Amino acid sequence: MLNIVRGDLKNKPVSSKQLANFFESIKSDLNGTLYIGYPIIGTSKGGFQIDALLITREKGLIAFHIEEGIDNNIDYKDIQDEIYTKINSKLLQYKELTQKRQLAINISIATFAPAWTIVIEKDDEYPCFINTSQLNQFLIPISWDKKEYYEFLLSVLQSITTIRKNKSRAYVKKDNSRGGTLKNLEESIANLDRQQSSAVIETADGVQRIRGLAGSGKTIILALKVAYLHSKHPNWLIGVTFNTRSLKDQFKNFIRIFTYEHINEEPNWDNIDILHAWGTNSSQGIYFNLCKDHDVEYLDFRDSKRLTSIYGQEFDAVCQKALNEIKKFTPKYDLIVIDEAQDFSKDFLRICYHILKNKKRLVYAYDELQSLSTKTMDSPEIIFGNDENDIPLVKLKNEADQPKADIVLDTCYRNSLEILTSAHALGFGIYRDQSLVQMFDHEQLWEDIGYKIYEGPLEPNVQVELGRDTTTSPQFLSNHSSVDDLISFKTFNDNSEQVKYVVDSIIKNIEEDELKFDDIMVINPNPLTTKSVVGAFREKLFEYGFNSNLAGVSTSPDTFYTGEAITFTGIYRAKGNEASMVYIINAQYCYEGMELSKKRNILFTAMTRSKAWLRVCGCGEGMKSLSQEFDRVKKNNFKLKFRYPTKDERAHMNIVNRDMSLEEKNILQKNTKNIDVLLEDLKSGKTKKEDLPKKQIDELKTYLGL
Amino acid sequence: MINTLYTQILNITSKLILTGLSVQQNYPSIKEGSIYISGNKNLSVALKNISYDKIYSILEEENNYNIKMIDGALIQLMYSFENNVLKKYRLAFFPSPNLEEFQNNSEIYEMDEIYADIIDKNIITTPIRFDYDPENYSSIDHPKSHLTIGQYTNCRIPVYAPITPNIFINFILRNFYNTAFIKFTETLNFKSSALFENCIDDKEKKILYLASC
Repeated sequence: MLNIVRGDLKNKPVSSKQLANFFESIKSDLNGTLYIGYPIIGTSKGGFQIDALLITREKGLIAFHIEEGIDNNIDYKDIQDEIYTKINSKLLQYKELTQKRQLAINISIATFAPAWTIVIEKDDEYPCFINTSQLNQFLIPISWDKKEYYEFLLSVLQSITTIRKNKSRAYVKKDNSRGGTLKNLEESIANLDRQQSSAVIETADGVQRIRGLAGSGKTIILALKVAYLHSKHPNWLIGVTFNTRSLKDQFKNFIRIFTYEHINEEPNWDNIDILHAWGTNSSQGIYFNLCKDHDVEYLDFRDSKRLTSIYGQEFDAVCQKALNEIKKFTPKYDLIVIDEAQDFSKDFLRICYHILKNKKRLVYAYDELQSLSTKTMDSPEIIFGNDENDIPLVKLKNEADQPKADIVLDTCYRNSLEILTSAHALGFGIYRDQSLVQMFDHEQLWEDIGYKIYEGPLEPNVQVELGRDTTTSPQFLSNHSSVDDLISFKTFNDNSEQVKYVVDSIIKNIEEDELKFDDIMVINPNPLTTKSVVGAFREKLFEYGFNSNLAGVSTSPDTFYTGEAITFTGIYRAKGNEASMVYIINAQYCYEGMELSKKRNILFTAMTRSKAWLRVCGCGEGMKSLSQEFDRVKKNNFKLKFRYPTKDERAHMNIVNRDMSLEEKNILQKNTKNIDVLLEDLKSGKTKKEDLPKKQIDELKTYLGL
Repeated sequence: MINTLYTQILNITSKLILTGLSVQQNYPSIKEGSIYISGNKNLSVALKNISYDKIYSILEEENNYNIKMIDGALIQLMYSFENNVLKKYRLAFFPSPNLEEFQNNSEIYEMDEIYADIIDKNIITTPIRFDYDPENYSSIDHPKSHLTIGQYTNCRIPVYAPITPNIFINFILRNFYNTAFIKFTETLNFKSSALFENCIDDKEKKILYLASC
């Protein structure tokens, strides 16, 4: 199946559409991708636009020069020569694509000029077509026998070769050690899949939504997109924003690398603002700049406590306040890209929408499940609200021959099927003894994130069976190790046992398994205890001569890993980062209690940090039960079997497991204690039930619905 | 003598990790009879005439510290000996010039009272240095053992005697991490016994000076 990716070729709309439509009609005969308005090739004189490029397993590489006008006097042969030399010189840079001193693959160039009536000076060496039937005739005889170059060629054209892990594994001596396994994993060629390519290249005016679960490559795709659009439209002012501070460095780094691919020079940073959403008094942020530009009061984290007492909703509150106070927005950006949109309220998205110029190019990417609170994303109609006529400002619809406005990335390239499915199972509490913890309101989401329905239909109150397969969870992520090595749960009697296990394992990872310090990450799920509980682990490691650090609480909020030390982190800092070997400690915290949705989301996030191996550790009864939940996932062959909860049941879950303010928690604790006291006294006979006022008992019965 | 100091530094580092006060640390190392920070050789960093921000970030980037505290403050503990005689030392506390991360983004800090000292908005960070430098001794102007506050060129408050890592760290914790110091009294009990002879002169005793046991 041919994938058609519609990039931006605005100056040649009619002809490029005809070309795309032609290929649409022969889509099923070819395997590969047709890019319109892509790639841009970096040359000594900046970016060089290729109008269209076809890369298929059957026909190899064919670049198109597209003419929109009727003027057939232009020197199309000269243009073809230039296209050829530009592509040739780009590909020659890769040893993998050369044979001796030559490029190993053939580059065909053709001109497509549907508005011409005739081609002057026909020349067989310079194919030129004025209609699609001629084009078809040209394509039929072409065949390609260098299929072995396909994958690599594609990754060069997608400009992702440059990000293949630069981490040197030259030190690896044992092929079958963990280090050796990672070496093989990292060397395998990565290509963008269909949805990913669309997400990078297709950008319409208006709002675009990109949904994808953790590890679907969102951040890289957004960076590729920014680099591509910046190269095409160097004058656009582009804003890139996110919630996790450590993403800033990543974005900057990726955008720089990718822009080099397109224009061979440093991006013009004056026109790309990579900004944290909030910002601080001294560092810019979307919200900080908004307040400055519109002359409204800027509130920092501490000030925000005046507005809300609910932990985790501080930013929402300040955004809401700003949105209410600003009467007239000053448009500033041509494009805003929002990563981790699940962490933001609709008010922040609206702010971004309002500070865009009239084309309203807003790209927001999110992973519903990565949200650490129970916020879920509303539909775009609700998020962006209505205009003065009560018509939604934004509606997303994918039109057949238009850039896609709504993209779902359903393939996960970070976590193996085993780890991802277990993370979902525990996140939702699928195999919990009690009822589910939470569930998507829209059943459809399960398919969007790459699950297949093995038993169904997927409807409320129906017993369903869901699972992933190799199309959405590539096999190479699983088959490097045995299932029990990929993921295991460890229950300990007390903390000292846990410390010993984790410390011993880490030392073994480094000394025997050939892992590097930064291959390992230790995550503590309870955000309030991280600093104190990891002390015991870190002190032990220090004693044995292994250095460690506590991520993100030190001075530079923008970096995560540092040199020769094992990274210990709380959940908020772990987000957006990944490591090959992940240890989750004190996982019992996530088993039960108040605000269970949040706790399970935390567990989900922590588990999905692992690129290869995962150890979930914890102590006591809670851990034992959590571990049993995992055993059931495994016993069910990493399938999710459950009765889909009804609307009422879901509403009930949402109440029971909701986030609470400190006050709510205190009141609940107080009342629970009071009931405890009463119960104890009744049991022991200190209080007799007959002595309690009947009126109170009756009222209690009514309120409790007994 | 050297070993005692070295052991004290190791122990201090361990305990600060254990209590969660150290977020990052470097091992001390003994070379040619002196105690350095692993990977770094120079005792007195030649960082004159540049802004404090810059000094801080260079030390941080080069890992030129023993301990990086939870609020970003860097602690250096370096002793230089010649023929087993103390020649020079530098015990320094370089707080992060930029506490915003802690004051503004303090969700992680607010929850834990041990950070009460650092997230107070009205504090201003000041580097503190204890130096022992008898080679440049000049009564009152340059006491052998002295305390410098805020990197002022001529700030040298006389100190009665050379001090140990334990005495220094007790001073730092008690004054700048008081909440944590009290909360973890049992873990953070570093014995402050003196190891060195007095070195203050009579003239210096007549002005304001620091003395320890």
